[in-house]
Amino acid sequence: MRLLLVEDEIDIQRFLLRSLEEAAYQVDAAPDGNTALQLAADNTYDILIVDLGLPDMDGIGLILRLREMGVRAPVLILSARRSVDDRVLGLEQGGDDYLTKPFALAELLARLRNLIKRNSPATADSTRLRVLDLELDLLKREASRGGQILQLTQQEFVLLEYLCRNAGRVVTRSMILDKVWGMRIEPDTNVVDVHIYRLRGKVDGAGQIPLIRTMRGMGYVLKDH
Amino acid sequence: MSSKITRPTMRSAAWRISLWATLAFAIGTMVVFVFLQGFVADDIQRRTDAWLAGEVDVLGDVAIRTPKNALYSAVVSEIAELASKEVPNKLPTDSGSDDSVFFLQSGSDGSMQLWVGAGSGADHLAAIQTRNMQPDSPTTVRVPGFSIPFRVATIQIADGSHIFLGLSERDQLRVLRNLQLRFVELWMLIVLLGFTIVFYTTRRMLSHVREISEAASRIGHTDLNARVPTTRHNDEVSQLALTLNHMLDRIESSMYQLHTITDALAHDLRSPLTAIRGKLEMSLSGALDSDQSEQIVAAIDELDRLTDFLNKSLDVAEAKADALRLNRTQIDLREMLRVMVDLYEPSMSEKGLKVNVRTTEPVEIFADASLLHRMIANLLDNELKHLPPACALAIELHCEDDSACMTFEDDGPGFDAEVLQHLFERRVKGRGSNGHGLGLAFIDAVARAHGGTVAASNRESGGARISVTIPLASLGPAPTQIPNTN
Repeated sequence: MRLLLVEDEIDIQRFLLRSLEEAAYQVDAAPDGNTALQLAADNTYDILIVDLGLPDMDGIGLILRLREMGVRAPVLILSARRSVDDRVLGLEQGGDDYLTKPFALAELLARLRNLIKRNSPATADSTRLRVLDLELDLLKREASRGGQILQLTQQEFVLLEYLCRNAGRVVTRSMILDKVWGMRIEPDTNVVDVHIYRLRGKVDGAGQIPLIRTMRGMGYVLKDH
Repeated sequence: MSSKITRPTMRSAAWRISLWATLAFAIGTMVVFVFLQGFVADDIQRRTDAWLAGEVDVLGDVAIRTPKNALYSAVVSEIAELASKEVPNKLPTDSGSDDSVFFLQSGSDGSMQLWVGAGSGADHLAAIQTRNMQPDSPTTVRVPGFSIPFRVATIQIADGSHIFLGLSERDQLRVLRNLQLRFVELWMLIVLLGFTIVFYTTRRMLSHVREISEAASRIGHTDLNARVPTTRHNDEVSQLALTLNHMLDRIESSMYQLHTITDALAHDLRSPLTAIRGKLEMSLSGALDSDQSEQIVAAIDELDRLTDFLNKSLDVAEAKADALRLNRTQIDLREMLRVMVDLYEPSMSEKGLKVNVRTTEPVEIFADASLLHRMIANLLDNELKHLPPACALAIELHCEDDSACMTFEDDGPGFDAEVLQHLFERRVKGRGSNGHGLGLAFIDAVARAHGGTVAASNRESGGARISVTIPLASLGPAPTQIPNTN
């Protein structure tokens, strides 16, 4: 996976480079818009990370210029601004995504994966999801583990489906709130955790291998091996 | 809410101004007329008196010269009747006999010697004798049986008898009455015309003012780029519009500066926070013992709290300056509330709290979804953190007067008395609260940004109540609040 990172803050660029490379991306970094345009003209990237506050041009302007040049790769927008610009929302509608600073690394990686998956052709949406002995029937909205049907509420099913689709990868609380409940909030209470505990109580019965694991300081992961 | 404020004509300023102007005009013209009429009445009387004095002199002369024989009365009567025919201001009467003029001669003993006129003349003589009449100064005499008084002149002739010549004031009064009638007709016409002209001109002028105030109220909260309409005329109203536009220019520029400052502050603080968080996360994924990772996790939590504090502080600061930027969309508040309560319900029941939501109808509002999400999350977080176990929370949502009213009531300990007065100020928090004291200030900020209000109180039966009111289709603050916004 080839990735273009456009970020002017050296500190952020450095740790992002390291963690993206650890996540097996082949990363080129550009400190400003013009370098990014140059790099994008010379190379083909699968995905881009663009910071909105660049020294020489506006991040949105850069994305629009790249689109004009024929760059079709999805963009993850990083923003240190407080309010989300209409134009960012417009890009989100167009298939791109945004993340406000500061962010959890796990969330950045998860959003990148989602963007790549969303834009890769022919991932025929199957009607069944299977993770180890956990099975979800998306048509009947039914989940079973080891052949045993689980009594889940509608909300719990949606949550479990989201975990299954990201099996083996960390999902943060704010990702769960965004994708399952459709809201970008940062509650200072344990609302998401309680939902996860309840779901875990139903999915991980006595004597079974626990599937839903808590990653301290990061979020949750559904084991897939 | 319609931006056009249609008010009944009777309550408009144009109506009041024209009413007062017309009143002043009507009184003024009335005073002028009263003076004019007095002047005319005096003039008519003077002419009448001059005529009477002249005629009575002639009659006296005739009476002296005419011998007192059988012909005397015939001659004097003839002269008197002739005289009555040239009465000033005379109008022809329907009745054959002329009762507007009389001639009377009384002897030195006061007995009637000669009478020319309608009736016997006894009443006239009696009425005259009650008055002490002086020659050469005509006097007004009321005669029983006649509604209109007579103007009577007298002269004493050589034989000691008196000659009286009387003229009814009827014709004089008729002239004056005609004058009055004409005046009143014209006066009403002029007053009506004046009223109409004043009303239409002031209404036209004030409609510009109303356009300006409507435009200004639209601008307030929605977009500061718009300006009030200006007219081509260089009058006071267009000056007002220009002044308002200059003021809006200044507000827009200071608003822009405020946004620049808060954005720069947010950016300058968030970038290092991002770098620190990233580094902490990376060291967390490295191989460490659980004690070290525990500390790193705690540090990340602290960092997230710091970020949240930063965000809320800046939001509250902007909202206090009425400068919070909104991204409005159509939202069903009932559905939003339902989803959020579903999200919080497990945590609440885990703590032994009951939640009950009462709504009847969908509540469609035009608002910033992300800010409302955060506001409701704040309200629910507050309840979750501060309510002791086994309490109940009742949430009610309904529409009232073009506003959505959302009320949170609990049966917990309520607000501390000393905190209650300053609930919506920054950094105010109750004892034992471990928050940063921005929660309610933030809720207030979001409501204000949407043109709404927040009220918090302790219930009489114990527990706290917070009500949030947000206009359904807000264009900024409600029109009635405009003069009070400061």
